[in-house]
Amino acid sequence: MKDAVRIQREDFSQDEEVGALRTGSKRMGGIATFTGCARDFSEGREVTQISFDAYGNMALAEMRKLRVEAIAKFELLDARIVHRVGVVGAGEQIVFIAAGAAHRAPALQACHWLIDELKQRVPIWKKEITAQGDEWVTPHP
Amino acid sequence: MIKVLFFGPVAERVGASEVQVPFRTGILLQEVRAQLQESHPAAFEIVCFTAVNGEHALDMSLPLADHSEVVFMSKFSGG
Repeated sequence: MKDAVRIQREDFSQDEEVGALRTGSKRMGGIATFTGCARDFSEGREVTQISFDAYGNMALAEMRKLRVEAIAKFELLDARIVHRVGVVGAGEQIVFIAAGAAHRAPALQACHWLIDELKQRVPIWKKEITAQGDEWVTPHP
Repeated sequence: MIKVLFFGPVAERVGASEVQVPFRTGILLQEVRAQLQESHPAAFEIVCFTAVNGEHALDMSLPLADHSEVVFMSKFSGG
């Protein structure tokens, strides 16, 4: 089985990730997922691709910490986080988070918490590629 | 030597993803930063975080060991 936390260039399968999550426990009553995708527009410009750069070792370590923290904080049965790097085409998947718990509320809360924390804490940077030129994205809330 | 890495927008402004800073006993993190900030002021305008050997470093008076890995980073924009 693939690691529960990964940074990879290639696309991922949501079905495979959720399937892997479900194999961990039959007490899982709720699974919440978040998928981040590459928008084809930004501030009035057409975005064709997004390029991701990462401080790989630290990013992976931070994502692993996030998973452990989320499992403890929300009493999850399991969680998975996958983030792509390299060049991602408009409309493609970027990031996937899945949180499984006995009940839906902690699964949904954990999923929301994980993507918010990932954006704050994981050293990954995105650059939007447009016909007008490339631009690094400035984070916003 | 101290290995200094740059990623994303900081690397673009520096024009490199890695530079080496000579090690000397007692060298502090803030001295490495000051030295690089002088040569790459535009890059350091957007530096918000510093990591040493893969961990966030909040204390800029941290003494560095030889072969340390230092990273000066802008705000993250993953996800």
